[in-house]
Amino acid sequence: MKNIYLYDDSFSSLLNLINKLLELKIIPLDIKTKKDFTPTLLDEPITLELNKSFNIQSINVSKKIIKTVYYVYLSTDPKKELIIYYFLLNALKYQDKIFYMRTLKCVNSTLKLAKRISNECHKLKGFLRFKEMNNHVLYAEASPTNNVLELLSNHFAKRLKNEIWIIKDVGRNMYSIYYKPKYYIVSGQNINIQKFNISCDEENIEKLWLSFFKTIGIEARKNSRCQMNFMPKKYWPYIIEMERVYEKSNNG
Amino acid sequence: MTLEEKLVILADGAKYDASCSSSGSKRRDSNGLGSVAYSGICHSFASDGRCISLLKILMTNCCIFDCKYCLNRKSNNIKRAIFTPEEICTITMNFYRRNYIEGLFLSSGIIKSPDYTMELLIKTIKMLRYKYHFHGYIHCKAIPGASNQLLKELGCLVDRLSANIELPTANGLKLLAPNKEENKVTKIMSYVKENRNASFVPAGQSTQMIVGATKETDLDIMNKSESLYKSYDLKRVFYSAYIPVNKDKLLPALTTPPLLREHRLYQADWLLRFYGFKTKDLLDEDNPNFNILMDPKANWALRHLDEFPKEINEATYYDLLKVPGIGIKSAQRIIACRQNFKITFNDLKKIGVVIKRAKYFITCNHQYFINSNYFHKSFIETNLILEDSIKDESLKEQLSLFS
Repeated sequence: MKNIYLYDDSFSSLLNLINKLLELKIIPLDIKTKKDFTPTLLDEPITLELNKSFNIQSINVSKKIIKTVYYVYLSTDPKKELIIYYFLLNALKYQDKIFYMRTLKCVNSTLKLAKRISNECHKLKGFLRFKEMNNHVLYAEASPTNNVLELLSNHFAKRLKNEIWIIKDVGRNMYSIYYKPKYYIVSGQNINIQKFNISCDEENIEKLWLSFFKTIGIEARKNSRCQMNFMPKKYWPYIIEMERVYEKSNNG
Repeated sequence: MTLEEKLVILADGAKYDASCSSSGSKRRDSNGLGSVAYSGICHSFASDGRCISLLKILMTNCCIFDCKYCLNRKSNNIKRAIFTPEEICTITMNFYRRNYIEGLFLSSGIIKSPDYTMELLIKTIKMLRYKYHFHGYIHCKAIPGASNQLLKELGCLVDRLSANIELPTANGLKLLAPNKEENKVTKIMSYVKENRNASFVPAGQSTQMIVGATKETDLDIMNKSESLYKSYDLKRVFYSAYIPVNKDKLLPALTTPPLLREHRLYQADWLLRFYGFKTKDLLDEDNPNFNILMDPKANWALRHLDEFPKEINEATYYDLLKVPGIGIKSAQRIIACRQNFKITFNDLKKIGVVIKRAKYFITCNHQYFINSNYFHKSFIETNLILEDSIKDESLKEQLSLFS
């Protein structure tokens, strides 16, 4: 029998669980969300009685460590919960020195994953493309590998603070809706935004951008390989200047 | 002329400016549209692999100057256009709201006089900042010869100012850009250096040199860069491989731009700014140009093999930085890690060292990676060049240093 500890998908519930496990000195074989857990004959799901008034700040580590762990939590790595467990276990002992202990396997994995998330978020801060709807709402779609919707929303809440905008994570069917001064993250099942139409000016602006994009490349320096390295193909379907190239390359 | 036609003409005239960085500014603004990101953000990549982060345009491509290498020179018979301040503001705002760009890079040909051109630039950017409440990144060209008063006004509105030095020696400049004077450019630079603060050119100044249009060597170029960094606190010197856009008997007839040479210059530029190297370490009168086959750091290391191998667990920070395959980050990590334990070859990979380059130049706990009899120049040189020729393709991806 393999004991699997369950938590209910939120970051604070995961930390609450790990905190409890550390307290009880239990070394888990696996930790999973209730949603992801599929019962098998060999696995024994366990839900611990958790502290209801749990506060993330009660874990005795720095903000930097919590932030790193939060980034790992946003990743899609199937082992992320265990990685976080072992990282926190060591972080309690070594505190901020842990960032220099890459030779520990859990530290190396943690820092690598955290870096991957911040990289993807940084890329999307640039690659996200808004379209204006006929009611002046800005609307963008993306399909990030990792769950960076919240990090992106923080960025755009500062940048486009006087606008109303919606970002859709297509893969997860989640929406982030900003209405000054806050954004709300909601699941696609609960809302319907099909009714909006693209504003009539939109096509002209897109055309302007496409001409600019085409002009700014220097023919004598052409280097599609380099372009693709910096702007990976998986983002192309949502970048208007690459969309057409993408469709062309897919249709032969 | 439609707005789109104008945009094409004026973006075409601006594209040879290499700088597109949007980093280094920490301004905070309470209201309006936009923000700056200290690290800079690339929004797209053009077909040549260069990042697009700013809307890079000329206000006008009309010019009273006749610089030989420039597309917009007076004697060229090309379509001319001029943007009104409103047009520039509308395009910038619309692109920015849709997250196409990080801000505006505004340059211009010179019309009537430097002061007149500068006044128009100021009018445009003022409108963008105060009427349209735009708080994104703005990089503007300062026009050589304009008055200090105007320079001051412009500097308070933008994040970065730049003035292009164009060529490394005064002779080159006299030959190809007879209307441009070096001291007018350096005058701008020293003014910006003296007055720079959080509300005056917060992201600093940069400049650009053309590579391969005149006979100047890499040594001339690097000496110039070194003195520019030293005298004017420049953030960046950009190098732009010369691309023949005009025919002129004074210009070389190149078929392809010297991209690899440009790449080597960028590598050396990084060595100057972050790795504690001096130009005289890298080049001298007998070797005035970089080795095209090998990067400047490996080349230097091979010529100074007597200083190697370095012991990872004992070498100082600057000694570690001299090792090919070890960068700033990995050097810092090595220093931090070895306080806790002795570092072995296996650990180095996790730290982020490029082992396939570094292994020839280091020891871990006084062990060389193979029999130490192999530690001699010909063995290392052959292996390094072999390594590079395998990934020859990626050598062309030289603009990785741009962002």
